[in-house]
Amino acid sequence: MYKEIKKSVKKRIKESIVIGLFLMMSLSGCISEDESKELVIATYDIYGLSEEMIEEFENQTGISVSMIKLDDAGSVLDYLIKNKGTNDIDLAIGLDNTYLSTAIQQGVLTNHTASNLGEISQVALGPYNGQLAVPFDMGYVCLNYDNNLVDGKNMSVPTSLWDLTEEEWRGKVVIPSPQTSSPGRAFMLATMDYFTSETDRSDTSQFESWWSAMKNNDVIITSGWTEAYEMYYSGGYGETTEGYIGSAHITVSYCHSPGVEAWYSGSNITKSSSLDIPMASFFQVEYISSVMGGDVESSALFIEYLLSEEVNSKMPEQNQMYSVLEGNDLPETSGYLFHSIIPEQPSNLSMSEIGDNIESWLQLWNSAMI
Amino acid sequence: MKNIGSFIAVFLYSGLIFIPLFLALNRLIMVTGFYPSIWFNSLENNYISQDILQFTLFQAIFSTIVTLMIGIPIAWMLGRYRWPLESLIRTVLTLPFVIPSIIAAMGILTIIGPHGINIRADEDTWWWTLIIAHAWFNMALVIRFCEPILTTLDPSLEEQLRLLPNGQTRISRFRYLWAPLLVPSITAAACMTFVFSFTSFALVRWITVGNESLESMMATISSSAGIEGYMEFTSEMVLGASIIQFLILLISLWITSIIQRNRKSKIPQVNTKFVKTKNSMGWLIIVPALIFALLPIISVFLGSFRIREPVENEIIFRWSFDAWVVAWRGSNSFPPLTDALINSIGYAIITLCVSLPIGFSLASTISKLEENHKFLSQVLDVFTMLPFALSAAMVGLGVLLGIIKLDIGFLHNFWPLPALAHIMLTVPFVVRIFLPAIRSLDPMYDENAKVLGLKPWKRFFSVKLPLLKSSLIISTIFTLAMSLGEFGASFVVARNSDWVTLPLLIDSWRSKPMKDPFTGPASNVVATVLMLITIILFLFAERYRTNKEGGMF
Repeated sequence: MYKEIKKSVKKRIKESIVIGLFLMMSLSGCISEDESKELVIATYDIYGLSEEMIEEFENQTGISVSMIKLDDAGSVLDYLIKNKGTNDIDLAIGLDNTYLSTAIQQGVLTNHTASNLGEISQVALGPYNGQLAVPFDMGYVCLNYDNNLVDGKNMSVPTSLWDLTEEEWRGKVVIPSPQTSSPGRAFMLATMDYFTSETDRSDTSQFESWWSAMKNNDVIITSGWTEAYEMYYSGGYGETTEGYIGSAHITVSYCHSPGVEAWYSGSNITKSSSLDIPMASFFQVEYISSVMGGDVESSALFIEYLLSEEVNSKMPEQNQMYSVLEGNDLPETSGYLFHSIIPEQPSNLSMSEIGDNIESWLQLWNSAMI
Repeated sequence: MKNIGSFIAVFLYSGLIFIPLFLALNRLIMVTGFYPSIWFNSLENNYISQDILQFTLFQAIFSTIVTLMIGIPIAWMLGRYRWPLESLIRTVLTLPFVIPSIIAAMGILTIIGPHGINIRADEDTWWWTLIIAHAWFNMALVIRFCEPILTTLDPSLEEQLRLLPNGQTRISRFRYLWAPLLVPSITAAACMTFVFSFTSFALVRWITVGNESLESMMATISSSAGIEGYMEFTSEMVLGASIIQFLILLISLWITSIIQRNRKSKIPQVNTKFVKTKNSMGWLIIVPALIFALLPIISVFLGSFRIREPVENEIIFRWSFDAWVVAWRGSNSFPPLTDALINSIGYAIITLCVSLPIGFSLASTISKLEENHKFLSQVLDVFTMLPFALSAAMVGLGVLLGIIKLDIGFLHNFWPLPALAHIMLTVPFVVRIFLPAIRSLDPMYDENAKVLGLKPWKRFFSVKLPLLKSSLIISTIFTLAMSLGEFGASFVVARNSDWVTLPLLIDSWRSKPMKDPFTGPASNVVATVLMLITIILFLFAERYRTNKEGGMF
């Protein structure tokens, strides 16, 4: 009996040592620094950053890439601010012109040293043309509608944002929340310009009234674009997915989303159209930035790589956004370009104006909605 | 020597549990200022959190009622009648409680989806789906709490009562015999169900899309909380929500503990075989109950092989292993399943290595103090129970805002960090599992060993440990299972890192746009792997479960 116990105790001690060693090995493995260069990128799930593309960069430069995948552009900013001073992050990809000025104000970005960039279009450099961020893709955020139902007969095609507050649209509009979604935030900013441009933002009452009226008209607010487009919007690919409801016939997406729908179908077919209401769309540019305290040299190499003709021209297919390089457009294949529109008169808000006011405008939106 | 051990355990426990929370609280207050009224009002003044308290409270109350309605008849049938393969039936019916909630969410989404009962498109069904999902998850609590009384009550009591004026009808017998006996157990089960439903996260997140519970809201906004001069309203909301949640949970647990204390009745008990009779009609309850318990589990498994494929304007489903291959390899967006598996197993082992010795030492200390320092033992007893009133998201926020900020450069890369949250959540459970076993140890064994000249460590390994074998195995398995399936705290701490665990990988896969046909099936693959590990652990624990007093474990 005693021998058995002794044996079992010995066995347990051995097991404990093995577990202890395993723990130490795993801990030391995590803490010890790799000698090879590593580029740490904070981003969200951007499809343009494909595995092949990253591998190609690694092969070309010998730098290994480590991606920290966050939820969206807002989470990237949260993450950068929270980890300020760690010097652990080298590059941020995905901040857009609704978040960039806050990132600059918070001092989380640093000047990039990339020089060998492709020719970036003036349109892309419109919102920001400095050293703290380089645009890598762009697109217009606007309302999309289901043209099968919103055909002028069954339902009238809105020509003003106020039309959406009519009884006809009760419960049939879905908008991602500006508090938690980038396209939602972009659309809220467009509505700010739409309702306050005449008064130079001094009178925001129309902005508040419209959002309150939308709330009273049972607008559906979702936490993100995916829920709004996939679950509620009847005009998109959502109807082929699980969890589809399809109760809304207008949503916020990109002005080229109908083009993406047609391109995906492979046969130039879509029942989704973009609604070009003057000043109700927002020009969104997404940026790549060197992060304060990070490895600026390696970041510059990645910025140059992402902005190279070879990689950036593929943005429409890989990331469903416009390339920022001069002379590039959406492909004509399967109606991609045909079903995409460039709004004639997008909203006009400067990035610094957004940075200075975004929190108070979000508060205004919040007050209108409660 | 012994006292030093106890002292170290209490010291470590206090440090591990309370330092992160204190630091996080301090950080949040630093951001918002000490204005409790603003914290509480912020919940009603923000669109994200408006009506959130009502939603959380009502769904928890309804979930509790429905859980009791489903659980009591099942507990009655199991407790009062004889069934073939009874142990297997009991295992199946109590299995849902140990299945991680994120898996339950995936299973239920598959059932209510287009190729299940197809009610997902109707938003009016979401509320009841959530309630029933909570009932599925918690019915084991009702069974565990009520069954011991039902199986051991001497049937002659009911026969005697039949002869009395107050026992002639079924209703009067229920009123004068069963109700007084069962009400304490039912109330305790109800309180615990309420607590679990109130802090529900994964099920709320995935079933009632658009409605948040206090817990899910805290987890969702955690990324921007605790930053000075940036989105400060999120810090106010976190403070308001945590304090309200803490108080409500504390009250519920306090009621449970009072009931538990008064539950020990002096009613004559007999062996189970004298109590149980046959009831062929009872299958009408047992069979649907078994289907109810198994359906989400089977759905997760089957869902991992079913791939959606649009063919022209129609959607067809094909059966294949493709999602397993995709999940195993990982994708551009997600790491391979093996990465998450290694992380999860690593965290579970670290949690076990820390929680088990601390929990055991605390339980021993409480038991030792009971002899001479009754008051001190009660204080320590309550002290070790206090973390039950903390939800997973609150613990996660403690680590995220309290600990990582201590040395952000080092801790930001400190892989074992999520295990700290798991340790904070599991230690109180380990204490609860060991305490009754240590209390029931006969001190004579130790005394005899001492007389025989065995040294303290030899007495511990040769005498005490073998006597506590069942509790040791159950607490080991429980700690491993709890850590492997932990979602809320990991969501807050490790979501934005490389430290992806299995539950986080399930959530990430499911969050991907459904345009990708593997979004649903791949999340089911990861869920199936986690589920199989949990079931194996649970079946192993069942062999050693000797605690017939009722309760969660």
